[in-house]
Amino acid sequence: MRMEPVPLPQPQRPEGSPPSDAAVDTLPKMLARQASSPDGHRTAIREKAYGIWQTLTWTEYESYVRRCALGLVSLGQRPGEINGLILDNGPEWLFGELATQAAGAISLCLFTAAVSDELAGALKRVSARFVIVQDQEQVDKLLEVRDRVPDIRHVIYVDPTGMRPYREDPWLISFADLIARGERLERERPGQYEALLKKGRASGPAVMILTSGTTGLPKIAMLSHGNLLAMGTKWRDALRIRPGENWYSMSPPAWIVDQMWGMGVALVSGMTMNFANTPETLLEDFREIGPHLLITSSRFWEDMASRIRVRMGDAGWLKRALFSWAEGIGRKVLEAEERNMAIPLSLRWRRRIADRIAFKPLLDRMGCSQLRSAFTGGHPISPDVIRFFRATGLNLKQCYGLTEAGGIFQVQPDGEVKPETVGKPLPDTQVLIGEDQEVMVKSDANFTGYYQDFAATEAAFREGWLRTGDAGYLDEDGHLVIIGRREEIIRNKEGQAFSPDYIETRLKFSPYIKEAVVFGEGKPFLTALVNIDFGNVGAWAEERMIPYTTYNDLSQQAEVADLLREELRRTNERLPEAMRIRKFILLYKLLDADDEELTRTGKVRRRFVYGLYLPLIEAMYGDLATLPVKGKVKYRDGQIGVIETSVRILEA
Amino acid sequence: MKAYRSQPRIFSRRDPDSRRAELDVSGLTLQFGGVTALNDVGLRVDTGELVAVIGPNGAGKTSLMNCITGFYRPQRGRIRFNGRDTTHLPAHQLTGIGIGRTFQNIELFPGMTVLANMMLARHMHCRYRLMPAAFFTSGVRRDEVRQRVILEEVIDFLEMQAIRNTPVGSLPYGMMKRVELGRALALEPRLLVLDEPFAGMNLEEKEDMVRFLLELHRAWGQTMLLVEHDMSIVMGIAQKITVLNFGQKLAEGTPEDIQRHPDVIRAYLGGDAT
Repeated sequence: MRMEPVPLPQPQRPEGSPPSDAAVDTLPKMLARQASSPDGHRTAIREKAYGIWQTLTWTEYESYVRRCALGLVSLGQRPGEINGLILDNGPEWLFGELATQAAGAISLCLFTAAVSDELAGALKRVSARFVIVQDQEQVDKLLEVRDRVPDIRHVIYVDPTGMRPYREDPWLISFADLIARGERLERERPGQYEALLKKGRASGPAVMILTSGTTGLPKIAMLSHGNLLAMGTKWRDALRIRPGENWYSMSPPAWIVDQMWGMGVALVSGMTMNFANTPETLLEDFREIGPHLLITSSRFWEDMASRIRVRMGDAGWLKRALFSWAEGIGRKVLEAEERNMAIPLSLRWRRRIADRIAFKPLLDRMGCSQLRSAFTGGHPISPDVIRFFRATGLNLKQCYGLTEAGGIFQVQPDGEVKPETVGKPLPDTQVLIGEDQEVMVKSDANFTGYYQDFAATEAAFREGWLRTGDAGYLDEDGHLVIIGRREEIIRNKEGQAFSPDYIETRLKFSPYIKEAVVFGEGKPFLTALVNIDFGNVGAWAEERMIPYTTYNDLSQQAEVADLLREELRRTNERLPEAMRIRKFILLYKLLDADDEELTRTGKVRRRFVYGLYLPLIEAMYGDLATLPVKGKVKYRDGQIGVIETSVRILEA
Repeated sequence: MKAYRSQPRIFSRRDPDSRRAELDVSGLTLQFGGVTALNDVGLRVDTGELVAVIGPNGAGKTSLMNCITGFYRPQRGRIRFNGRDTTHLPAHQLTGIGIGRTFQNIELFPGMTVLANMMLARHMHCRYRLMPAAFFTSGVRRDEVRQRVILEEVIDFLEMQAIRNTPVGSLPYGMMKRVELGRALALEPRLLVLDEPFAGMNLEEKEDMVRFLLELHRAWGQTMLLVEHDMSIVMGIAQKITVLNFGQKLAEGTPEDIQRHPDVIRAYLGGDAT
C-alpha cells in the first residue's frame, strides 16, 4: 500500500483576489456581504420572463432571502430542521435554499422528475419540515403521499397557476404568501434576521445532496457552509472569476454542479446567475446570455456537435465548403498545438481568416462566443467531439469531481488539454493514488459525512483522505487519468482485468448506440446488452426503406443487426484483445430511470441490470441464436406492463 | 419570477362593468336554400358563465356560432349582446363590442410567427394614427410596448414561450389551436366563442386545453360559449349546456339534467331511451 502523498505542483494562487475573511463563514453571511458591498447594485440574478431578461441586484437578492427566511421562521422553522426543495432552476430556488440556511435549517434538493414514491421516501428519511415545490404538478405528487410524510408542516408552492381549487387546504402556502409573512415579521421584530445569521457556523451543515448511488438506496451527503465557501474560493482563484461574469444555470438543483455554483462560486465571486424562461427555452435563452463559464455533461457537447453537423448538411454549398475549409485549418492548428510544435506563419494567418469568417459566427450562433472555459464532466467525452470543438477555438476541457468532495476539484489548465485526462487539482486540493489505484482527495471542501450513516462515512475516509471510489493514475505531466469505478474493475475467467465502463463509453461513441452494458465477470469472453439510438437508427432505416413500428420492432430487424455488428467490430478494433465484445443482444426496450435501470442522472445501475436480464446474459454464453423473453415495463403513471417478444443473439 | 405569475393585466384591470357579457339569442332561424340549418333556436349566456352547445354532427352548432359572430345572416330571430341588437352587425364590429372567437378549422396565417399572428388581434386596440406611426414617435413606441406586454402575458399564461418566434405553419396541430386561443384572448373579448377547441387533439393536448379554459373561467371570470363534441369534457367544465339536433333546440340545463334527459340520450344513442 502506498500512502505517502504523490508530490504535485500546486497551482500558484493568483494575486489580487483577497482570501475570504473569517467573519463571513456561512452562505447567507456571504450573501449579506455581497449585498452590503459597494457592488450591491450589480446584477446578481437574471431571469427571462415575458420575453425580457429581468434582473435582480445583490441587494434585492438578499432582501428576498431575508423575507423568505423570516417567513419560514414565522411558520415555525427551527434550527437543525431539514427542508425539501423540488424546484426548477430559477431565482426561487436560490431564495428558498439560502432562506432555509439562514433560518439555521438544512436544504435537500430533489429532482422535479421524481415520482411521488421517490419523493416521499427521501422526505421521510430526513423528516423534512417544509417542502418548497415548483408548481401544481409537484403539489399533486405530495398530496398523493400526504399520509406517509406526517412531519411536513407546510408545502410552499412557487407557481400559483392552477392552484385556485387548493385554496381551502391550509397545508399549502404560496411562495408570495411566504414572502409577505416574512415582511410582517420583519416589521414586528426588526433585527431578527441579523440575529439568525449570527448563529450560523462554518462547520454547520448547509446542503444535503442525494448521491446517485448506482447500487442500493442513495446516500445523503452533507456539505457544510465552510465546504461550499471553500469550493467557491478555489474556483474563483483558479479561474480568476470576476464579478458580473455570467453563469447559466442548466443542470438540476438536485445535482452538485449547480449547488456548488449557486451556493458556492457565485456567492463568493459575485458572478451573475442566469435562468431560462422555461425548460423548453433553455437553448434559445442560452444563446442570449452567452455564459463565460460552463460545466455540462459530455452529452451536451455531443448533441451540440451533431446539431451543427445536421445544420451544415442542410446548408448551401458555399457555407458547406467554407466550413470544411475552416475545419481543416482548425484541425491542423490543433494538431500542431498538441504536439507542441511551432505553427507556421501562413497557417496562423489562415487560422485568423477562418476564425473571422467561419468560427466566430458559428460560436456566436451556438451562444458560445463569450465562453472562457467550458468543462465537461461526469462521463468521458468522445475525443472526436473534443477535437471538433477545440478546432473551432472553443476552450473545451475535461474536469472531474464528486458530490462528496464538494463538487469538481480537478480541471484541465489552459494550454494543457489532453483528450484522456481530467487535469490537475484546484488550489489547496491534494490528490493521492492509494491502494488498488484508488483516487483520494484532501481538501477543505470535502463533505462532513452521510446523513445518519456513520458506517458509510467512516468507510468514505482513510486518514483524512476522501476515497473517491474511482481507479486512476497520474501521467507524466501530473494529470489525473480516471479508468473507471473501482468496484467495477472486473476480471474475466483468465483473470485479465477490464473496465466495463471504459468499453461502454467507447461503444457509445457510435451514433447508433444509445446505451451499452458490458458483462463478463469470470466468463471466458465479454458480452454486451445494447440499446440502439432510436432516432439515428430510425433515420438510417427510413433512408433504406426498412419499415418498422416501435422501438422493439426496430431493434430486432436483421438489417439493424448487421449495422450494429459493424459498429461493434469497429469499436473492437480499437480495444485491447481482452476487452473485445464477442456476443451482444440488441435489447427490446430502452433502459429507463423509471424502471430503476438507470439512476436519475442517467448512469446504468449495473448490478440491477445484471439481475434483471440474467437469462439474456447467460444465453449469450450458450449456443442459442434466438431467445423468447418476457419483460416488465413501468409506465409514468405507475402501471406495470409486460412485453413479450424474442431477441436475437448476435456475434460481433 | 414564477412566484408572481398571476392574472394578466388585461383581465386584472377590468372593472365589473367592462366584464359584462350578456348574450340573448331568441327565435333564430337560418336557411340555406331549402335546408333549414337552425329553426327557432334560443340561447342565453350571462356574465361569467361557461355555456356549452352540444349536438350530433350537422345539428347546427357551428351555424349558431357563425350567426352570433356575424359570419351568417339569420333570416328570422334576434341576437342581443349587452342589450344591443347585434343580429345584422358585421364580424369586425362584433369584435369591437367584445365578441372574440376561435375557429373549428384553424384560421391562422401559417407563414407568420406566433407573435405576429397574435399582434393582429391587438390592431384594434392600437391608439396611434398613421402619421406618428410613420415616424415611430415616442408615443407610438410606448403604445407598441404596451401591446407587446399584454401579448407576452397571454403567451406566458398559455405556456407558448418556446414557440414565440416559430412560424405557425410548422407547429403541431394542438399548438396551433392554442395559438388561436391566444389570439382570441388578445382581443380582450367580453364573450369568448370557442368552436370545437378540442377537435383533433390527442389526450395530452386536450388536458392542457382544459387546464387553460378552467383557469380562464374560474380565475379570470371569462365568459365563454363553447361548442364541443367531446361529451366527457363538456360535462366536466360547463355550467350550462344547450343541446341541438337537426337545427332544433332539444334541451337545456345543467350537465346533470342533460345527462338524464331522455331526448338527449335518444339523439346520441338512437332508438328508445331505457
